[in-house]
Amino acid sequence: MKKLIFFGGKGGVGKTTSSAAFAFLCANNGEKTLLVSTDPAHSLCDIFEKEIGSKITELNKNLFALEIDPEEETQNYINGIKGKMKDVVSPIIIKEIEKQLDAASVSPGSDESAVFDKLMEIIIDYRDKYDRIVIDTAPTGHTLRLLTLPELLGGWMDRLIEKRIQAMELYEMSKRYDSKLKVIIEDDPVISTLKARKEKMEKTREILTNDKLVSFVFVLNAEKLPIEETKKAIHVLTKYNFVVNDIVVNRILPEEITNAFWQKRKALEKTYLEEIEEYFHDKNIIKVPLIDTDVKSENINILSSYFSSI
Amino acid sequence: MDKNKRKEIYENIKLFISAVFDFQDMSSKRVKKNAMDEFDNFMLLCYGDLIGIPLPTTYYTLELLPYLAEDLHGWEHRIMARKSVYQDRWGDFDN
Repeated sequence: MKKLIFFGGKGGVGKTTSSAAFAFLCANNGEKTLLVSTDPAHSLCDIFEKEIGSKITELNKNLFALEIDPEEETQNYINGIKGKMKDVVSPIIIKEIEKQLDAASVSPGSDESAVFDKLMEIIIDYRDKYDRIVIDTAPTGHTLRLLTLPELLGGWMDRLIEKRIQAMELYEMSKRYDSKLKVIIEDDPVISTLKARKEKMEKTREILTNDKLVSFVFVLNAEKLPIEETKKAIHVLTKYNFVVNDIVVNRILPEEITNAFWQKRKALEKTYLEEIEEYFHDKNIIKVPLIDTDVKSENINILSSYFSSI
Repeated sequence: MDKNKRKEIYENIKLFISAVFDFQDMSSKRVKKNAMDEFDNFMLLCYGDLIGIPLPTTYYTLELLPYLAEDLHGWEHRIMARKSVYQDRWGDFDN
């Protein structure tokens, strides 16, 4: 049984609905399930018609949900730094730096990093508290970026640590008569902070690429663009050692159609379904029909049964 | 006796030369300058964002601020005052 299940795919194909249906199924089977949304535009709350937010909320028996709020996570992080600074730095400098901290909290990359940070925390700390963690991700591009961050940032962290040690060694050399300096390198809070950060990223990467623990489910529709995007996304994920096992083909039209327009669409859909079956022949393909109503918490069990093979 | 005398003169000349040309101090000064440059480079890798160089790790280096904040202002000042790369390099040979 895989512990972490990621649902990804192009925007609007039904990632949230699929992940909610799957989480509902797991919870029904008696597994303690946490459903996490990493999409900044959350819609889990709209399916379950309940406020969820950044605190873990119980939706049903065994079913818990969480929507990562990048702004709130950034704010917590910045406040933590401000608090720590009060113990170390003089008050005049704090005033100066606080402005910079507030500016950084709205800078372009910080939302992404904040989501990634929270996700790391969930993966590392909550792994043992839940039987299953289902992650409803943002549309493909955003998610690929999120999953490849540990690899990218790990290299940067290495570089930073290396540079810092290099500088300190040179400094030590210039004061070679001062034997106390050796201890300073080992106690340097900058290096230890960077190392702790790096270890966390490495651990996350280790877990994410462990195919005994993690599974990726790609959701798509039997249409041209979602198929092409899924092909590319799986290619990128494979490059980074992530394993995609399941493909969900969502919103398949019913067989009995009398209207000429929809008959034409159905014929087109058949050709795309054949393409999907051929291209993704080594994956578990799950076909989910289009249903005649909105998916909400009371009728989500209609869809749940389709996901039992994940 | 003559040998000892010679040795003394030799030692004195050595001391005189090292004092006049300041070899030891110069080299440790140069190493120190290099070390300071490396610290500045490290700051650039951490806070390049502040002077308009986007870095993927900006969010994570913020947590180093409690330890680096004291140097930040001086670093920003130094890096903004750089007029040209060549001038900066030639400056290294002034001492």
